Amino acid sequence: MDGRKSASSGKASGATKRKEPPSGTGNARGGQGNNGQAKDGRPPNRAPKRVKFHDARNIRTQPSDAALEDGRLDLQRFLNAREFEIKALESSMRKCKAVNATRVFQQVPRAMRRRTASHNVKRIPKRLRERARKEQIDDKTPTIEARRRRPRTTRARIRAETAKKLGILAARKKKKMLDNTAEGAAGTSVQPTVETRAPRPKIRRNTLNQAPKIKSKFRKRQINKTWLPTHVWHAKRATMTEPSHPLWRFAIPLTPTQKCYRPIHRASGQKGAVAWDMSYMSTIGLYGSDEGAERVLRAIGLTQESIWGGRGRNWRAGARKWTGFLSKQRKEGRRDIGPATIIWNPEEEMDLTHPKKSQRQIFIRTHPSCFLELFQELLKLVKMQTPQLHVEDLRFEIGSIEITGPGSTETLLGIIQPYYDKPEAKENQARIFKSLDGVTNPASLPKDALLAFSAMDPRLGHPSKSNKSSTGSVSSTLLDTLTNWPIGENPKPYGLFSRDSRYAASKLPSLKSINRRKGTGLPGNGLRVTAVDPPIPVILFASRPATDGQAQGTWTLLAPWKCILPVWYSLMHYPLSSGGNPHLGGLEEQRQIAFEQGAPWFPVDFPGTEAGASWELEQREKRLRDWGRRPKGKRVEWRSLDLGAGRKGEIGDGLACDFEYLFRLPKDDAQKETGNCDASVPDPDAMQIDGIEYHEPREVSHSSLLMVQHMEKASFNALFSSANLGKAPAYSVITVQLTFVTRGIANVCARIYRLPTRAPTVIPPSTDTEVPATPLPSPGLPSDLRDHWLANLPLKSIHPNVGSSRGRQGRRQQQQATRQFLPGTNLAERKSLLARSLVTTSLPYPAPSATQKDIGGHPFCPSEEDLIGFVTSGSFSLSEGKGTAIGSISAERAFGALKGAGAKEGKLCVVRNAGESVGWLARWEAI
Amino acid sequence: MVRLKDRYLLVSIVYTDLLASQQAKKGNNPPVSDLLLYNQPTTGELKPQILLKAIRNQVASLFGDCGSGAVDRSLQVKYLSPATSTFILRISRSHYRLVWAALSFMDRLPTRDGRPCIFRVVRVSGTIRKVEEEAVRRAKLLILAAKDEAAGNKNAGTALDALFRGGSGGSSKDPARNLTMLSDQDDDDDDDEGSAPGDGEASYDD
Repeated sequence: MDGRKSASSGKASGATKRKEPPSGTGNARGGQGNNGQAKDGRPPNRAPKRVKFHDARNIRTQPSDAALEDGRLDLQRFLNAREFEIKALESSMRKCKAVNATRVFQQVPRAMRRRTASHNVKRIPKRLRERARKEQIDDKTPTIEARRRRPRTTRARIRAETAKKLGILAARKKKKMLDNTAEGAAGTSVQPTVETRAPRPKIRRNTLNQAPKIKSKFRKRQINKTWLPTHVWHAKRATMTEPSHPLWRFAIPLTPTQKCYRPIHRASGQKGAVAWDMSYMSTIGLYGSDEGAERVLRAIGLTQESIWGGRGRNWRAGARKWTGFLSKQRKEGRRDIGPATIIWNPEEEMDLTHPKKSQRQIFIRTHPSCFLELFQELLKLVKMQTPQLHVEDLRFEIGSIEITGPGSTETLLGIIQPYYDKPEAKENQARIFKSLDGVTNPASLPKDALLAFSAMDPRLGHPSKSNKSSTGSVSSTLLDTLTNWPIGENPKPYGLFSRDSRYAASKLPSLKSINRRKGTGLPGNGLRVTAVDPPIPVILFASRPATDGQAQGTWTLLAPWKCILPVWYSLMHYPLSSGGNPHLGGLEEQRQIAFEQGAPWFPVDFPGTEAGASWELEQREKRLRDWGRRPKGKRVEWRSLDLGAGRKGEIGDGLACDFEYLFRLPKDDAQKETGNCDASVPDPDAMQIDGIEYHEPREVSHSSLLMVQHMEKASFNALFSSANLGKAPAYSVITVQLTFVTRGIANVCARIYRLPTRAPTVIPPSTDTEVPATPLPSPGLPSDLRDHWLANLPLKSIHPNVGSSRGRQGRRQQQQATRQFLPGTNLAERKSLLARSLVTTSLPYPAPSATQKDIGGHPFCPSEEDLIGFVTSGSFSLSEGKGTAIGSISAERAFGALKGAGAKEGKLCVVRNAGESVGWLARWEAI
Repeated sequence: MVRLKDRYLLVSIVYTDLLASQQAKKGNNPPVSDLLLYNQPTTGELKPQILLKAIRNQVASLFGDCGSGAVDRSLQVKYLSPATSTFILRISRSHYRLVWAALSFMDRLPTRDGRPCIFRVVRVSGTIRKVEEEAVRRAKLLILAAKDEAAGNKNAGTALDALFRGGSGGSSKDPARNLTMLSDQDDDDDDDEGSAPGDGEASYDD
C-alpha cells in the first residue's frame, strides 16, 4: 500500500525534492551520478512513464565535499555521508519496487486471470477496479464493449433493431402483468375450491425418460445434448465438450481451464480434495418382486453365489452397495456391458396383519456410454419375468457428485448437515455420518459402505466453516464406528427411492428468499430449518480404488437432480482445513487419477465392450483428422517407418489400437456394415429427446471391433490356473497394466509384443552375426532376439537360470576384453596390441545402415507374430515416477507367452510407440 | 524468451596512500583514524564517464580488442557516490570477470594526478537490489566500526579488519555482527558453471 502511494507521489514530490539540497549538506544535488538527464525536472515532450522510471531508478548521491570538513577528514562528516548513502539506497529500492509494480491484471490470483477480455475491468475483483480503470486511461486501452458498439453490417443493424423492439414489447408485457396483479390484489380474489397436487415430472415405465424441461433461453443450446445441473458454472471454468460434439449426449467438462496436472495429483493423494459433477452417470430403477429382481440381476452378470447367499444379505437389505461389471448373454457367450453400482432399497417393516408380496426397488447406476445397451437389455429381461417387473429411466431425476482426496470426508461433513426437526428424530445413518470426523481416506470405511439420510439445504449453512478438528488423530470411537459400522439391522426405506420426496426436494426455496432470511439474523449464523425447507434425500457411498492398496477412495453423493447445484456451490467454497478449496475436476482428471492408481478407466481401457469400441472408433477418426491436418513433412509417414531388419512400415493402422489387425478380422466400412450388426446396436429413434430426432453420431457399426470381447481378470486367472490350460475364447482381450522395466513412456496406440521365442536349434554362442541355420519368422531378425531383450533386464531381476551366460554382464565383458589392456601389460606390449588391433579390425565398407544390426543400440522389436495388444492409455505416472501404461492384450497370445516362459518371464513384453522403431521392455500385469 | 542477463558489481575505492595523507593532514589537526583514511571521499573530478573510460582502457590493455568489444556496450555505471567512494557497475553476465580483472589491475584513480588506491569488488549479484542491500549493510558496518574506533581508539589492524572482513575482527565481542558477515552469501543461483563469484572478500583474499 505504501509502495503504491510512494509511486504515485514519486512523480511530483521526487522531482521537487531533487531540486532542493538534501539535508545535512549545503550544495549536494541529486541526479548528478549517472547521466543527468532528469536534472531539470521532466522534459516536456517525453512520455511521463519514462520519466517516472528514470526517477525511480536514479539513486541520489553526494559530492565529495559532503564527507569533508573544510577539506579535512572528519568523523562526523564521515558518518553523515554514510547515513545519507544508506537512506538514498533504501529509498531507491523502495521506489524501484513501486515503479515496477505490475498491472492490476497481474495481481489477481492465478485462477482469476483471464487473457481474453482482460481489458474488461469488470472481470477483476472490485477492490482493484478503480486502479485498473486508471491504468487503462493512462495507457489508452480501448474499452468499448462489443455489445454497445454501433452495428456496422446490415445484419447486425437489423439484429440490433429487433432486439430493441423486443425489449420494448417485453417491457410492455411486464407492465401489463404488473397492472393485472395489482388489480387482482385489489379486487376479491377467488378462493380455489379444489386443492391440486403440483404436477411432478413424468417418469414413464419401461421407456426412456425425457430431459428436464429447460428455460426457453437455453433450450436451443441443448437440442442434441443435456446440460449438467452445474453447466453454467463449469462452462466458465472448464473446457467443455464441443457444442456440436457432445459426449454421451451431455455437455461434460473435460478439463479445467487452469493448469492443474500436478495440483490434481497432489489433491487426490496427499492434501486437498477433487470433486466432479457426475450427474451424467445414468441411474436405472428396477422395481418388482424379490425373486424376479434376483433373476434379472443374475441375468445381467451378478452370478457370484456369494452375493446371493449370506454374505450378500447386507447388500440386499440396502445397507451396502455392489459394484462390478455387468454383462449380457449372447449366442456366442457372455459379453461385458460396463461397470455399474447396484443399490437396494430397504424393505418397509412388514405389516403382519396384511402380508403382502414384497416389492423391491433397485437402483442401477451406470456409465452413460453403456446406458442404452444396459437399458435395452434390462427391458428385455424384465418383460420375460412373470410377474413382470418394470424399469424406470431416472437419468435426469438423480444427479451425483464424486469427491476424492484426503479432504473429501471433511468437505462432505462440512456441507452436508442432517435434516431433522427435533434432535430425537435424527436418523441413525446421519449420526454415523457425522461421526466420521477424522477420516482421511474414504477407502478406510467398510467395503461398499453406504449411508442414506435426509440432508439440509446446504445454502442454509453457507458459507460453511472449516472443520479444524478433522486434522487431529483418529479417535478410538471413530475406529469403533469404522469396524462395527452400527447401521442397525433393518434400515428404513431410503428417501431417494421415493418419487415424492425427490420431487419435494427439488422445490427448494429461492436463493433470494434464503438471503432475505439470512439478512434478518446475525451475520455468520446459519439458518434453522423451517417448514419451507424440504429435506434433501441423499445416498452417500464410499468406493475403494479398483486396485487394492493405500490409494484414496472416492465418495459418491447421490441426490435429486435439482439439488446438485446448491450442493456444488457449497462444495466448491468449502475451506479445507489443509488450506484452499476442493479442486474442480473434469473428465481428464478422472482419467488421470485412475491412471495414477493403475486402474483401468471405463470406457477407454475396455475396448472389448461396446462403449469402449465406440470410443476407440471415435478416437480413430479424431486422430486421423488431427494427423491429416498436419503438414506432410511433419506427420508420421507410416509406410516409411523402419523397424529394422528389413521391415518397413507400421504394423496395422498407426492411428488406431488396431485390434482388427491383431485378430485378423476384416476391416469394414461404416456404410456397408450398418445392416448386419447384432441387435444391440442402438436404434436412433429410441433416443428422442423433446421430440427432436437426433442422429447418434457414434453409431457402433464396425462389427469387426465389436467381436473383440473383454475378459475379466478372474476368469483369465482361472483359465490359466486350471490344470489343462483351457483355451481362451476367441477374440478376447484382457486389460493389463504395463510397467516399464528400465525406461520408456508409452502413448496411446503403442504396440505391445511378447518376447520372441528362441529358435529351436542350438546355436553356438559365437555366431552372433552368422546367418542362422533354421528359417526364422522374419529373415532379418537375429535368432537370439529374446536374449537380447532379456539382457536389458536390470541385474537383480534376471531370472537365475535364464540367459545368465549371455546377459548384459557377459556381453560387456566380451566387449571390454578387446578394448582394455590387462593390468600387467607394459608399454611396449600395449603398443603392439594397439597396432595389432588397428590393423586387424576391419570396418565394413560401405558402413551398414543404423538399423541393420540393432536400432541405435536397442534390440529389434519382435516380429508381427509376437504382437499381442495395444496400449489404451499411457504416459509418465507421477505416482510411480516413471512411465506406466494400461493396455489390452489378446488373452490367447498372453496364454501362449505364459505357457512358453512361465508366470514370471512370460509377463515380460516389449512396448513400442506407434510410429517409432525403438521398443522398451515392460512387464504386464492383468487388472 | 530472450533475456538480457546482467551482473551488478559493487565496488569500493580504498585509498592506499595512508602515510602521505596522514602527513598531509598532520599539520595542526588531531590525528584521524585509519578507517577514515582508507575510506576517504573521492574527488569530484571522477565522473562516471571518466571511470568508464578508464575501465575500458584497462580491459583493452588486458584483453585486447576482443575483451574491450565484449565489455564496451554493456558496461554502465549505475551509481557513483564520491562522498563514500562507492560505485555500482552493470555488465553483461558473461563478461563481468573481465571488468573485475581490470578493476583489480587499476591502482590509481583515473583522474589527473590520481591517488593510489585499489578498486575492491565487494559484491557481485544478478540484481541491483541485492547489491544495494549489501551497500547498505557495509555502510552500517562502517558506521559502527568508526564509532567503535572513536570510542576505543583502536590500532590500524582493526581498521583493516573492519575494511576487509566487514568489521568482524575488530568487534569479535559482538556475535550478531559476526553473524551478519558469515551470512554473506552469493544470491545468484542461475550462474553459468565456473563463474560463481563467491563473496567479494574471499576472492580478494585469494
